[in-house]
Amino acid sequence: MKSRSASLWIVTISLFFAYLLAVVPLPEWAMDWRPMWALMFVFYWTMALPYRIGLGFAWAAGLVLDVLEGGLLGVNALTLLIVAYITLSFHQRLRMYTQLQQSGVVFFLCIVTLALNHWLKVINDQLVSESWGFFLAALSSAAIWPALFLLLRGLRRGFINH
Amino acid sequence: MKVIDKALFTKGVALEYRAVTLVLLSAFLMFADRRFDTMQSLRFALAYAATPVYWVADLPARTSDLMDDVFVSHTELVVENSRLRNELLLAQRELQVLESLASENNRLLALDEATRIVEGEVVAAEIINQSPDRQSKKVLINRGAQDGVFVGQAMLAADGLMGQVVEVMPRTSWVLLVTDPLHVTPVEVNRNGERALARGLSGASDQLELEFVTQTQDVRVGDLLISSGMGQVFPKNYPVADVVSVLNDPGQDFTVVRARPRAQLNSTRHVMLLRPSEVEPDVRDDYLDDALTEEAEEAVTDSEHDESREELEQGAQE
Repeated sequence: MKSRSASLWIVTISLFFAYLLAVVPLPEWAMDWRPMWALMFVFYWTMALPYRIGLGFAWAAGLVLDVLEGGLLGVNALTLLIVAYITLSFHQRLRMYTQLQQSGVVFFLCIVTLALNHWLKVINDQLVSESWGFFLAALSSAAIWPALFLLLRGLRRGFINH
Repeated sequence: MKVIDKALFTKGVALEYRAVTLVLLSAFLMFADRRFDTMQSLRFALAYAATPVYWVADLPARTSDLMDDVFVSHTELVVENSRLRNELLLAQRELQVLESLASENNRLLALDEATRIVEGEVVAAEIINQSPDRQSKKVLINRGAQDGVFVGQAMLAADGLMGQVVEVMPRTSWVLLVTDPLHVTPVEVNRNGERALARGLSGASDQLELEFVTQTQDVRVGDLLISSGMGQVFPKNYPVADVVSVLNDPGQDFTVVRARPRAQLNSTRHVMLLRPSEVEPDVRDDYLDDALTEEAEEAVTDSEHDESREELEQGAQE
């Protein structure tokens, strides 16, 4: 029981850093390249601790991200929920993948999330970008995934004992 | 083996049910956030979780500000000090002229029974972040509900109008800039008082476009656009933008006028929030009483207003 609450704390604190990286101001040219930190963190934790970090956690994390970005409430909650659902459904297979294959999965999840984000904005009469530049975030996320994976795995092994 | 299969099966069904429930909940949230104001309280509560994130995200900028303050040479300070003193002298001189002009203007406006210029004190604020969404031009400021910020409050920079508050959180607020494509600023040409609506252009350009300018309206390149005070959000007579291009195509219904905002929207950190004075109606009545004689006396019924008039009369006798 103690390790259960400890793991929840570690995940929450790590998520704080994901939020930080998601809102820290970047120069104009780098905006499209900002990796989807919250998505990758939720992906890792649902894959590593599927019985502790579930759909509700991912959804709540997305809701906070919505408020943080000042956007429409529920958009990031929905996309992170879908990420968590896909990950939870395949978590045993995903764990067996090499890091390169996992990068591919991250790329796929990013594309799905960005497309869904775009459609939800169109449905809700919000401003959408005219260029397809925002899909670049999927590339940078996939590129950064192996390093983030090692970092988060170190964090999990160091602090959370099964 | 059978037991494990069964357990996995139950888990799967539960997962799907929960997923569907949360999807529906998200859809409801999106709908409610667009349609109703009640979601503001939920945002407000969640913003407590968001505040430390903003605070830490702003640390590098604050640290560099601090470093600039600490590591500055004596000569630089002296030069800056003398420059600022000169500027203050000039500003004070202009202020003296302005004050007499303002009072004269108010008397004239009162005679005309026109709306009084929105005046009030300003609250200093700092821009600490910008919207991660590139399409919406919003900035985050370090003042919130605890500092008395409200939705619709106007934000100014030293050199012009910047935007208005659209969402208030406990210690921070989102401000929509005048260059956002969803933001429309009521403006008028300073030279001749031609009125227009300035909307932000979508895309990367930080420019405004004047809407519905007819071919016969007199707008030229180089004209200064000031806020017209219509719509009651922005104060009157604050500089907004300079006209940079006027395209008069006879085939089009309207003239295409582009303008560049006066305020340095991308580099300013220090801004001001305008707090409208609360005694505004009374002040206006005073001006009326001062300016009009019989009409005002008929109109005034409140004892409170009588008192204020007596005070004025006493002041005049002295």
